[in-house]
Amino acid sequence: MNILPGKIEDLKVSGSLTFLSVDVSGTKFSVVVIDTPETAVYLKKGNDVKVIFKETEVIIGVGSQHQISLQNKLPGRVVSVESGELLCRLSIETQVGIINSIITANAVNKLRLKEGVDVTAMIKTNEMMLSE
Amino acid sequence: MIEISIQKQLQSSEGEMLLDLQVRAERKSLVTLYGKSGAGKTSILRMLAGLMTPDKGRIMVNGSAWFDSERGIDQPPQKRKIGFVFQDYALFPNMTVKDNLIFAGGGDSENIVKDLIELTELKALENRKPGTLSGGQQQRVALARALVQRPEILMLDEPLSALDREMRLKLQHYILDLHREFELTTILVSHDISEILKMSDRIIELDHGKVVREGTPGEVFTSREISGKFQFTGEVIEIKKQDFLYIISILIGKDLVKVIADEKEGSGLQPGDKVLVASKAFNPVIRKIE
Repeated sequence: MNILPGKIEDLKVSGSLTFLSVDVSGTKFSVVVIDTPETAVYLKKGNDVKVIFKETEVIIGVGSQHQISLQNKLPGRVVSVESGELLCRLSIETQVGIINSIITANAVNKLRLKEGVDVTAMIKTNEMMLSE
Repeated sequence: MIEISIQKQLQSSEGEMLLDLQVRAERKSLVTLYGKSGAGKTSILRMLAGLMTPDKGRIMVNGSAWFDSERGIDQPPQKRKIGFVFQDYALFPNMTVKDNLIFAGGGDSENIVKDLIELTELKALENRKPGTLSGGQQQRVALARALVQRPEILMLDEPLSALDREMRLKLQHYILDLHREFELTTILVSHDISEILKMSDRIIELDHGKVVREGTPGEVFTSREISGKFQFTGEVIEIKKQDFLYIISILIGKDLVKVIADEKEGSGLQPGDKVLVASKAFNPVIRKIE
């Protein structure tokens, strides 16, 4: 799990869903949860929360310019690659700290990912969980 | 409406414990008492039934006092309109199903016994003796028997915990139907969270004789630990390491699921560990089973 401490900067409620903007050391994360301030009292502007997402949900793009629907983009640099037969685990140094990503070994080969390559780690809004 | 405001010094396995609480149950609602064993759940039922006397306080049911230490009121159990179902069925083995019900009802119970046999679908079994019935069937008889006297309050003390899952689901259905049909106020003691979520209007969580949490099932059980809505508790059965990954088999209820975990999570786990499994509700797909 990637766990990042942040602060709720803004939230927008619609029906049973809440869309949040969470500030993690200057980087904005967008998160959508099936909760509202009524069902989860910690959903409040200014509250400290942890943003949680699984390594397997972190998408890697080479470089930093991507026309893509993903809202959460973290530019960084690959600092280590652990290779398995089918899957690889990348550690990426970003502004918010080390982010781990597990992607296929094929993708690592195709994108020629190795230590020192500049990448963008991306996570879908609906893959982000929150915790108090 | 049931209003209980009582104090009672109890001897528990861990020594003395003061049960001191105020709880309410709306008329026609189903309220679950939840908490560790020894928290005082069964004692509350016993005091409500008149089988145990509080040291102090009041028990009001639909406006009338069943117990009031200040006014010296203590209605005997037979005057309190309650039905009780326990984990063991306690049926008379030498009587048929129908006779068990008639005996519990006393004279003039022919009609209600007929209704109850129909509602609990015991018609085909009414002439059988309890010993020839399955656990689920016996519990259905015990449930019907608890209602023969047309109680206002039905008390269920872990009624389904001895039954297998399938039978539990069926019995839950019967209990809910009867709860509505007879406009009962039902107090359930249960440890099974899926059962509690399905059945309860309100939950009262007890610990050491005190109310620690109270609310709707959503309020009490929605874990605030993590926001993922696809959330279960289970037990780690097996951990397999593959490269830098762990593949963890977890038993959730009757189902075995597998979860991929990273080194940091997987290396801290052992078979037998209780774990929370959470995912975003956006991921699962749903398919109707034909």
